[in-house]
Amino acid sequence: MALDSSVDRNIRFSKRRTQFFKQLKRQKVLHLFVGLGMIFLLIFAYTPMFGIIMAFKDYSISTGIKGIFTSEWVGFKHFNEFINDYRFGEIVRNTLALSFLKVLFTFPAPIILAILLSEAKNLRFKKVVQTVSYLPHFISWVVVAGIAFSFLSADIGMINKALMSLGIIDKPLDILTNADHFWGLAVGSAVWKEVGWWTIIFLAAIAGINPTLYEAAQIDGAGRLARIRHITFQGMKGTIVVVLILTIGSILGGGLVGSNFEQAFLFGNSINNSTSEIVQTYAFKVGLRDGRFSYAAAIDLIQSIISVILIFSSNYIAKRASGSSLF
Amino acid sequence: MMRIKKGLLLSLSLVLSLSLLVACGSNNANTNENAGKVSTGNDEVKELTLFIDAPWYPVSEWKGPIAEKITEKTGVKLKVTVAADDRQLPLMISSGDLPDLIFTYSQIDRLSDSSLSYPWNELIEQYAPDFVIDNTRIAIHTMDDGNFYTVRNSFATQEEMAANKYAIGSDGNPGIAVREDILNELGNPSLNSVEDFVNVLDMVKKKYPDMVPLIMDKDWIEQYFLQQFGVEALLDGWYERDGKIEYAIKQPEMLDFFKFMNKLYREGYILAENFAYTNDQIDDEYAISGKAFAHSHTVSIADTDNAKIKSNGGSHTFKMLPSALSKDAKIVSTGLGFAGTFITKNNKDPEASIKFIEYLASDEGKKLTMFGIEGEHWTWNEEGYPNLNYDPSDADFVNSNGIKWWYLYNDGITEGLQGYVPGTQKTQALLERKQITQYKPEIGLIQTQPDSEEKTIKTKVDEMIKNEKVKIYLAGSEEEAIANYENMLKTADQLGLPQLVDWANDIYQKKKELFIK
Repeated sequence: MALDSSVDRNIRFSKRRTQFFKQLKRQKVLHLFVGLGMIFLLIFAYTPMFGIIMAFKDYSISTGIKGIFTSEWVGFKHFNEFINDYRFGEIVRNTLALSFLKVLFTFPAPIILAILLSEAKNLRFKKVVQTVSYLPHFISWVVVAGIAFSFLSADIGMINKALMSLGIIDKPLDILTNADHFWGLAVGSAVWKEVGWWTIIFLAAIAGINPTLYEAAQIDGAGRLARIRHITFQGMKGTIVVVLILTIGSILGGGLVGSNFEQAFLFGNSINNSTSEIVQTYAFKVGLRDGRFSYAAAIDLIQSIISVILIFSSNYIAKRASGSSLF
Repeated sequence: MMRIKKGLLLSLSLVLSLSLLVACGSNNANTNENAGKVSTGNDEVKELTLFIDAPWYPVSEWKGPIAEKITEKTGVKLKVTVAADDRQLPLMISSGDLPDLIFTYSQIDRLSDSSLSYPWNELIEQYAPDFVIDNTRIAIHTMDDGNFYTVRNSFATQEEMAANKYAIGSDGNPGIAVREDILNELGNPSLNSVEDFVNVLDMVKKKYPDMVPLIMDKDWIEQYFLQQFGVEALLDGWYERDGKIEYAIKQPEMLDFFKFMNKLYREGYILAENFAYTNDQIDDEYAISGKAFAHSHTVSIADTDNAKIKSNGGSHTFKMLPSALSKDAKIVSTGLGFAGTFITKNNKDPEASIKFIEYLASDEGKKLTMFGIEGEHWTWNEEGYPNLNYDPSDADFVNSNGIKWWYLYNDGITEGLQGYVPGTQKTQALLERKQITQYKPEIGLIQTQPDSEEKTIKTKVDEMIKNEKVKIYLAGSEEEAIANYENMLKTADQLGLPQLVDWANDIYQKKKELFIK
């Protein structure tokens, strides 16, 4: 009996194996595609990960690449240094605040714009709005910072001049040089720059909804808002959840619009530094710029760990709440 | 059939994309191989690769009359790469991908390492026994292993400076220009002290409310005023008193400087925004378009502004404030020079390299690089300076001809002579400065070593000062400014400044003997 079952299992196993190879052969074209992507990841994402060990070592750049392996182990020295830094609290607060605020505002904005656009009847108007809103995506942050200066400068900024001459304000607004305004500036400019671009993916989701659903709902007497709520929004839900999970995974980089570093670096100055210094700019200033790769690696690793925790927990919550998830 | 075709197509695309990756990788190797084999004409011209670790460098190609002349004299031409940013060289060092020559100011200590560079002393002994460098320069650059790996340009000892009265230094010195026409309209009030200057700013503010009384270049905000208050270093520097070294922020005069800056802000003479400028054109714009009364930059700013105003069709003019506006003014030069050239261990021809530098270090080489071609660009004035046929402040001319910038080896005297143009405001300002300058290069030798604990402390203290100083400048009241200043000192101590100061004193005691005459 025991022999029988083991033979049986063996046969089943080899059957499954041949089936596996058969399937592999059938899907070889698809696997080739996947393979290419995997090679890319292997070279550009996995191989460099060896560098992480630098965070636990006293690496000096003059020792070259082999120094990564030969330099002395120092345990959590660099991690302790960062955690005990006198600005640690402030910098982590800024990073988290900027990241969460950006997700809070930049995530729903393209969804709302996509729904509004899908409801717009005038095709030409729709096209113009779409083009105008996604064009800023192609402007680099350096240029945006330059444009922001000529618009928002307290002394020569167009907006301040206009508001002053209209008598709306009597003292120029110091948007660029006030620590209290930095988060608003960062969130506002991120929405302006990226909302149109991310609208595209949600518009695609809306386009995939079967139009007969709308017709049926209309016949059943559903109003416009009810249709948006029960059909458009439901149809987008899967896309929204996937984008949300991706957003939360990269939340410390600024979410789907990214650019936390660019904004903090370009809009940040010594006047608004108390709110604009984030983990990445700090790692850049006191780590990378001096060739202290170990310290920079340790700071970045702390940030990556927080990101991984966030992506797993958001995936878990999404799975529980909506049934759809990334993995 | 169809399936075979599909498979073929796919494998072809795979090969294509892989070869793309490979091509990226091998590109560099190819250029490296080709370098050095170039020959022009009958004589073999050796090509060496040079990396310039300064993203802002104005010349990026080995061309123009100066470069050609140097090649003619040395048989060496350079294939130049200018850094894309200040992290490129650290990355090159860590990956071991080094060119033949490196010209740098920020990585001098790092590259002064026998595993990365050839010691000059060994190369000189072996290939260029006639190349003599004076003892001070050697002492400054000698590392703990007894070797020296470079010699910085732009350096001159106090004695050399004293012996060459026309060597007045270069543009890299602070200066403030004020509107001449407005001064006239205000009845030419006296400008003999810092208080006078503040009074004039006040008059300007009252009479011309739309004008910004003082606009400052983002990199030249503090220097001029620090010197007027008798502060002997910049905010991230050292000063010496009674044989002891202290960090500049602790110098007693520093508080007066901070109170003054804070007053400028509170009275509305400067813009808060000025501290947030990210490019150095904004202040020029104010000055040239006539929206600012005073413009803080370098000693050449009046000449530069006036030239630009003229070419823009404007009519107002600037004139320099005296370099010593107050009797307390002090200028302490702790400079060891600017940048140095390294012959890396990857160098394919160390002999040609050291001989190339030997030529640049010769009297002929120094004058050729700094002034241009004799007879064409300059003639020697028996008084002891060159009569230049061009304006050394004319950046377009200087850069396009490659004058000055190939100073891979040079000295502060030759460079100082290039700045001497009788009759210009810049020359006048530099002459004034030279009179009150004290030289303390031994302080300049207090330099933190790469990867050392002191370097980490200093980086953090300096980064802290960068942010905290603005809080002092922009404080709402003098009391708040003083409180912020004291807070800054306290934070510096928490970051380990006392330890850094102890270390600095040790180094100072050891190194100052190098300069005992």
